[in-house]
Amino acid sequence: MTYTILGRCAKTGRLGIGIATYSVTVGRYAHSTRSNAGVTVSQANANENNNAIALRLLAQGLGAQAVLDHLKANDAWHSYRQIGVIDRDGAVAAYTGANVRGWAGEVTGENYVSTGNGLRGQHVAEAIAEGFLAEPEADLEHRLLMALEYGRDAGGQGNATAHRTERSAALQVSSRHIHPDIDLRVDLHDKAVDELRRVWTVYKQYEGYYADRGRNPRGAVGQEAFMASMKGA
Amino acid sequence: MTFSIIARCPDTGRLGLGVTTFSIAAGGRCEGIRFGAGVCKTQAYVKRDNDLIALELLEQGMAPAGVMAALKADDPDHDWRQIAIIDREGRTCAHTGPGCRPWAGHHEGDGFVAFGNVLAGQEVLDGIVAGFLADPGAALEFRLLAALEGGRDAGGQVGNDGHLTERSAAIFVASEPDHFDIDVRVDLHDDAVTELRRVLEEFKIYETFYRDRGHRPDLAMSQVEFVASLAKKAVA
Repeated sequence: MTYTILGRCAKTGRLGIGIATYSVTVGRYAHSTRSNAGVTVSQANANENNNAIALRLLAQGLGAQAVLDHLKANDAWHSYRQIGVIDRDGAVAAYTGANVRGWAGEVTGENYVSTGNGLRGQHVAEAIAEGFLAEPEADLEHRLLMALEYGRDAGGQGNATAHRTERSAALQVSSRHIHPDIDLRVDLHDKAVDELRRVWTVYKQYEGYYADRGRNPRGAVGQEAFMASMKGA
Repeated sequence: MTFSIIARCPDTGRLGLGVTTFSIAAGGRCEGIRFGAGVCKTQAYVKRDNDLIALELLEQGMAPAGVMAALKADDPDHDWRQIAIIDREGRTCAHTGPGCRPWAGHHEGDGFVAFGNVLAGQEVLDGIVAGFLADPGAALEFRLLAALEGGRDAGGQVGNDGHLTERSAAIFVASEPDHFDIDVRVDLHDDAVTELRRVLEEFKIYETFYRDRGHRPDLAMSQVEFVASLAKKAVA
């Protein structure tokens, strides 16, 4: 049981993933983005090699559908997997194997894939897509978080009678660097999507500072001085 | 302000990295570990490209001293960086630039490097090393965690206004190329090393279940059933 949004910003080409699940440390499966290549996820009895394979194929320029076809051809157990791919041009491909548990499926459009399994129903996948599309002008990481929050608020994981909380969640976005711009995680928490929003909100205050002090160490102030300046602002 | 350890397990060849710091989400800036290549970790004033450049060179077989020379040649601000490198053979190289905020230093051991900046003093480095060496037979992830705990218990980070708590922490261990064995993080917490132990111990309960269901999903029980079996075991 997991729900995920893959998204590409049409204006900037930035690529990102937001993921939440009942399992612990789901961020293990969110090393999912590469600048100028694409974004992918493999979940539901995850094949842990798939993300790295998919990103290599995307970096070589294969389109989303071709990458998905390769992953399936390379995996005898693909009918137990759920896979999503967006390539650098915004084309999408998604797949839910017949043996994936619970309500499982996807809602896709240009530049996004909403995918989940063990969900309370189709309406959760639709809510995730709706959250992603709600503020199309906002930063991609904000849109991904909104998608997770809409999915959570629509009931998230479980079945007709029982709800399962999100114990872990993660957010990763890449743009032009070889390393991600944003890489945030909650590995074990009672309300991981709420906690991810908290981590993101605090991280955003430091984001520019962390980047600047690395690029210009000669003029950098200490983190204590930076925090004092935040309070004074 | 950060203290870290990178290491290679001599028994298994597994590569690992443990980090903790006052900064937020330190684990999200640790791209420099790849099985078959080595580990590189840049901290203090971080040049984010360093670690991935180093991995490319390590993968090609360049020794850590050569990799360090290449990083230096590519960086006018090398004096502000703290960098540790270990290769797939366990060879090491470390650099603490004079521009790093005090106290800063590193210790190269046999198959590991402990290093940190804005620390209480040398005793923190000694605590990291003692923690790592305390139980050489343990799994690498627990040796890395013991190292972080040793550094914390020896006083950890001290800045201009006194002690700085660990707000984020992470441990990564790799034994195959396409994904990590161990990948646990705490991004924002009042006591991140303690919380990291809680996360790692919880993950270890599920580790085999998650791996096996990926390899043979046709034989896997659901996670709900697995959690119920844990509860049954706890009662028995």
